[in-house]
Formats: sequence, C-alpha cells, structure tokens
Amino acid sequence: MSPTVHRIAGLSLATALACGLAATAGAQLLTHKDLSLATATAIAQGAIDACKAQGYNVSAHVVGREGQVIVALRNEKAGLATYENSMKKAYTARTLRMSSGKFAENVKGNTTAGQLYLTNITPAQGALPIMVGNDTVGAIGISGAPGGDKDEACAKVGIDKVAAQLK
Amino acid sequence: MSRKPYLIAGLSLTAMVVGAVSVNAQLVANKDLSLPMAMTIAQTAIATCKSQGYSVSAHVLGRNGEILVSMRGDETAPHTMENSFKKAWTSRAQRIPSGKFAENVKGNPNAGALHLSNMVPAQGALPIMIGEETIGAIGVSGAPGGDKDEACAKTGIDKVAADLK
Repeated sequence: MSPTVHRIAGLSLATALACGLAATAGAQLLTHKDLSLATATAIAQGAIDACKAQGYNVSAHVVGREGQVIVALRNEKAGLATYENSMKKAYTARTLRMSSGKFAENVKGNTTAGQLYLTNITPAQGALPIMVGNDTVGAIGISGAPGGDKDEACAKVGIDKVAAQLK
Repeated sequence: MSRKPYLIAGLSLTAMVVGAVSVNAQLVANKDLSLPMAMTIAQTAIATCKSQGYSVSAHVLGRNGEILVSMRGDETAPHTMENSFKKAWTSRAQRIPSGKFAENVKGNPNAGALHLSNMVPAQGALPIMIGEETIGAIGVSGAPGGDKDEACAKTGIDKVAADLK
C-alpha cells in the first residue's frame, strides 16, 4: 500500500469518525430554555400596566416556543377584537422571529406574500419576540392602544421588566 | 258615557303604556368581573395547587363565557388548557360546579347538555357567584383528581369573596 492510499484510508476513517460524532450529536436530546408561567405573567402584566398608565386599555397574549398560549388576558375595557388580535400578533412575532410591525413593513405592497395566507399570521404592529440571546422562546402581543406603535411600546416594557431572567 | 269610565280608561291606558314600556326599556344593570379580579382568582388557584405539588392550568370566564384569563401552568400536560376551559364553560353555563354536572349526567349519556359544544362532565370548575347570580366561572385542570382541581379553584374564589357583591 502506498502512503497515498494510507492517507486516503486515514481520511476516510476521520470522515467516518466525524460522521459518527455527527450521529451522536444528532441523537442527543435538545436542551432549551422556556418561559415559565410566572415570567410570562410578569411580561403580560407589565405591558398591560404600562399601557394603562398611559390611558390605554389593552388585551395581551404571551405565547411560548411552540406558539402555545401561556397567558391570555382580556381587558374588560378594551375592544372585543383585542383578544384575538393580541394572540395573532404574538403568534406572528413568534413564528417569524421578528416584531409583527417589521413583518407588516416587509409585506407592505405585497398583498400576496405567502405568509399572509397562513393561519393566525397578521401584518399588524404590536408584538415582539421574546429572546434568550438569539433564540426566540416566545412572543408577546398587545392590542387596544390607538396605534400599533403604542401597543409595541407597552409590549417592550413587559419584556424589559424581566430582562434579567431572559438568559 | 259618564266621566268616570273615561277617567278609568285613561288611567288604565297610562298605566299600561308607562308600566310596560318603562320596565322593558330599562337597561340591564350587571356586575361583571374585572381583569385584575379574574387574575387574582386564577393565580391563587394555580398557586394553591402548586403548593400541594400539582401543576395546573386555569381559565376564568366571564358572564357570557368569554375568556378573561387563560394560564398554562409550568410542566402541565397539553390538554389541561382545553380541559380547564371546558370545565369552566360547563360550570358557567350550568351555573353549578362541573363536578355536580358530572354527577347529574352519570348514567345518562344522552343528556342533551352533553351534546353541546364545550360541555364536559368533569370535576374541577366552580361558578363565580354574586349571591344567586352567576357572573363567571373558574376551571382548573392538571391535579390528580377533579376534587383536587376543584379545591384549588375554590381558594381562588375565596380570595376575592369580599369583592363579590
């Protein structure tokens, strides 16, 4: 056997080992952090309070990693649509991993964007993804203030309130 | 015609019109749960169960069965959200504990109420009352037994009992 062949064999072995390692890595369970009910409630409550302090009655949804509702709060003084709208905004921010306002911007002038045809996706400002580093662990959606920018500002207050826990 | 019948007729007509119209035309005055009160009920119920080692989800509904608060407990099974909602709905609609409803329909699988949407014969929800009036309900799901769910629900209502008037 020539040295070249040895080297190729060695490389193959290394590749095989690498694959083996890869397989091992793939077989490992995933570890990730998720929002607790306490944290989710603090976010929602913080956002509602922030809006209330400005005279706006809003409803809120906090959804988790899989878009599942963790906390839903209907403000009895807010419009009927706010409950549904805050959920859809939150779902949009979670699944697209960006603020729902950014999504609204992205699809402006493109009414046939595919995402607009998915269930619960809404091009309306007022929701922010909840991040742990670069990982989107959920989202908060707000509806009821006179303007999505104001909804979003309240959502931000809610997240900021628990910023220390999001790591 | 003498004067008297006229007078009587006039009085009767006035009484009918004024009486009937004003009664029916009055607005209905209802007391309803506020969001803070509903949150206190739900959070207390969840905390009670947690202190007993049970992870539960909870729903608090208002007068028309609308969801006021929906909370998914940590480490709860996925169905607990649906179940706590349906228990609460059942309790609100029937104006009785969902456990009482379960007893009532035991042995009667054709009970009409069982065929309505969101009705579930499962213990764990209580109506929220002002006197005899049902203004909402709380449903809990996740504890090992509907009796335990219900006990947690009760602590939630008890917490705001003084305000339920």
